[in-house]
Amino acid sequence: MCTGRVDPALVADAFVNGADGVLVIGCYFGDCHYITGNFMAKHKLDMAREMLAYAGLNPTRLQFRNLSSAEGARFAQHNTEFVEQIKEIGPLGTGDKVGLPALKEKLEIAYKALAGPKLRWVVGKKPVFIDAAQGNKYGEVFTEHEINRTLSGMVIDEMATHSILTALEKKPAAVKDLAKELEIPAPETLKYVLALKRRGFVEMDGVEGTSPVYKFKSAEGGRC
Amino acid sequence: MAEQKVLVLGAGAAGVQAALSEAAAGNKVYVAEHFPSFGGERIPQDKIITDGNAFAAPDLATFKKNDHIEFLRNADIQSLVGDNGQYKAKVHCRTPRVDPEKCDECGKCITVCPIHMYDDYNEGLEWRTAIDFFDSGSGYYNIFKEDMPVCQRTCPINLDIRTYVGYIADGKYAESLATIRKKLPFPLSIGRVCPHPCEGECNRGYMDEPISICFLKRFVADVEMNSGVEPKIQLPEETYPEKIAIIGGGPSGLTCAYHLALLGYQNITVYEALPEPGGMFRVGIPEYRLPKHILAKDIEFITKHGVEIKCGVRIGQDIGFDEIKEKNDAVLLAIGAHKGMSMRVKNEDAEGVFEGVKFLRDAGLGNPVPNKGTCIVVGGGNVAMDVTRTALRVGFDDVNLLYRRTRKELPASPWEVDAAEHEGVKFHFLVAPQEVVVKDGKASGMKCQRMELGEPDASGRRKPIPVEGSEFVMDADTVFGAIGQVTDNSLVDEKYGFTFGRKFNFEVNPETFETNVEGVFASGDAATGANIAIRACAGGKKAAESIHKYLRGKK
Repeated sequence: MCTGRVDPALVADAFVNGADGVLVIGCYFGDCHYITGNFMAKHKLDMAREMLAYAGLNPTRLQFRNLSSAEGARFAQHNTEFVEQIKEIGPLGTGDKVGLPALKEKLEIAYKALAGPKLRWVVGKKPVFIDAAQGNKYGEVFTEHEINRTLSGMVIDEMATHSILTALEKKPAAVKDLAKELEIPAPETLKYVLALKRRGFVEMDGVEGTSPVYKFKSAEGGRC
Repeated sequence: MAEQKVLVLGAGAAGVQAALSEAAAGNKVYVAEHFPSFGGERIPQDKIITDGNAFAAPDLATFKKNDHIEFLRNADIQSLVGDNGQYKAKVHCRTPRVDPEKCDECGKCITVCPIHMYDDYNEGLEWRTAIDFFDSGSGYYNIFKEDMPVCQRTCPINLDIRTYVGYIADGKYAESLATIRKKLPFPLSIGRVCPHPCEGECNRGYMDEPISICFLKRFVADVEMNSGVEPKIQLPEETYPEKIAIIGGGPSGLTCAYHLALLGYQNITVYEALPEPGGMFRVGIPEYRLPKHILAKDIEFITKHGVEIKCGVRIGQDIGFDEIKEKNDAVLLAIGAHKGMSMRVKNEDAEGVFEGVKFLRDAGLGNPVPNKGTCIVVGGGNVAMDVTRTALRVGFDDVNLLYRRTRKELPASPWEVDAAEHEGVKFHFLVAPQEVVVKDGKASGMKCQRMELGEPDASGRRKPIPVEGSEFVMDADTVFGAIGQVTDNSLVDEKYGFTFGRKFNFEVNPETFETNVEGVFASGDAATGANIAIRACAGGKKAAESIHKYLRGKK
């Protein structure tokens, strides 16, 4: 199977289920049987690493390396090296930005974001957009720097959006309580909630005191 | 009565009302609106959609369905000419990036759009997605994409700064340089000398300090120069045989030649009066700011595009302007502004009084220049700074700069002023020259008067007022006037009837850079009056496009 088929959500799922490290090994660049499979894998995993690191995971736990299928000794060497690095960090929850029970919750949210369509669409378009010969439909070429900046912004957005949705799924809440619980500044939380409401994922449940309470609404046609 | 065509600007409540009543009168109505949807921005989004209640008149549904009304969204009026009954409007419509034929308003795009931005339809209070419909009454979906970045808008030649700086961040230096060279053939030189108005506007400046756009350009050009890689020359396959003469091989003339070569013209001749090409780049900007061998690299890049540069040919002396005009299909006057402005003081023609630009020119070409004793430089612009710093370098013991306002009002770039001060130039502020003191037919000093600042004048700067009885004499062996440059337009005969501006510059159409004589264009300092190099390059590029249109339109 091609590393281009390794889904970012699959990687996140491994961590949610307690894996201490994930090593993805693909062909050398330029040797891909499907021409761009390993490039796609690299872009996807770079994005997944950024997302998981934002969620609190030590980014060393997810690595991408290149190898040919004829190099048995190098394969063993890569594995030993990787295992040693992971042993040095320790099991999941030690050596990460966040401790264990909280980390798992955050990783679950990251999994939801990575399983959604948004990030994967943008990552899927990245190689086309930064190719000077292609660009988007209007021939506008983006620099890698620009796309990465957009992706970083999206990682933050997606994390916030999905943590709000997860919290609201548990119980309806007002914006100020959400902000306190999720440690996102209240004005931003309000904007996220209103954007979600506009897109049909959240609806008003009632008014508590002076602040409106929002509840989760399962939108038709799946996740955001 | 025949059907009339009516253009309504703006599709707010009043615009919609006007369009409906004009359509009812049997006219064909065009409605142009800056925003992608009608209804105006004050109407709440979800009020319009509900039937009947909040928003009854004007009737938006009728407006949308009416066959007599054509709605131009994302449209800006660029020009409106004509008189009652026959107006001609030029409308610029930005693409909505959504095909209205195919869009069935399902709204799915909004749920998945990854980009959020402030909702300009709601006074920025909320976020909306980059793709949005604004109000579902009209159902016009639209993807918003930012216009030109502020730095690019500020740059006279509109260099694609965001892209080339982004490429540098990616480590793709060759692509970055290629992006710059799409518009500007002088990355090495401009990267060194540009006063970078773009950096003053840079949004990063609000955070800490602006992106160092100018030096990034210098860096990426230096990388190529130092690596020894030859820049790729790509010329179009379709070529044109027309002969074009460019008078003046400076920033503007050479940029024009470069762009004409890129358009496919093969017979481009640049006539340069001085023995070396480069114009003010070579003889106006001193060696310490722009080394000559660096400039030569940029010029070599241009000549490789098939541009012929004939040096040492002064039009009007060596070849007549008539001959040039007769033998070529189009002529560009890019002769710059190489004549110093008069200081308008007594005894200005005495021996020992020089024009600052002439001094810089002689120093740049290696001709003998005055270099003994003390000197006085009058003026406060960048040329004055160049003159003072060059004067110190050629051997003057003492360099004094006179300026009639204070340091705050100095028009020169602050880093040049600091450098000049650091090198030992003596600044005398609030001092105005009155008369050159002459001894034995030679200048021996300058009679000056102290000034004080009064009320702001038309230019917004405080006007200097002389202080009575404060005259004094400053001794000097040489006096340089550096208070501005004008164009020496003596090469063209009066019979052509060129019109000239205040600085003896050629008056041109600001859009096309064409003079009032057919087939003759002017750009650079010769058209705009003395200005910064990048503006001259921008003029050259625009002139190249106009010459192309002029020659192709003639066929």
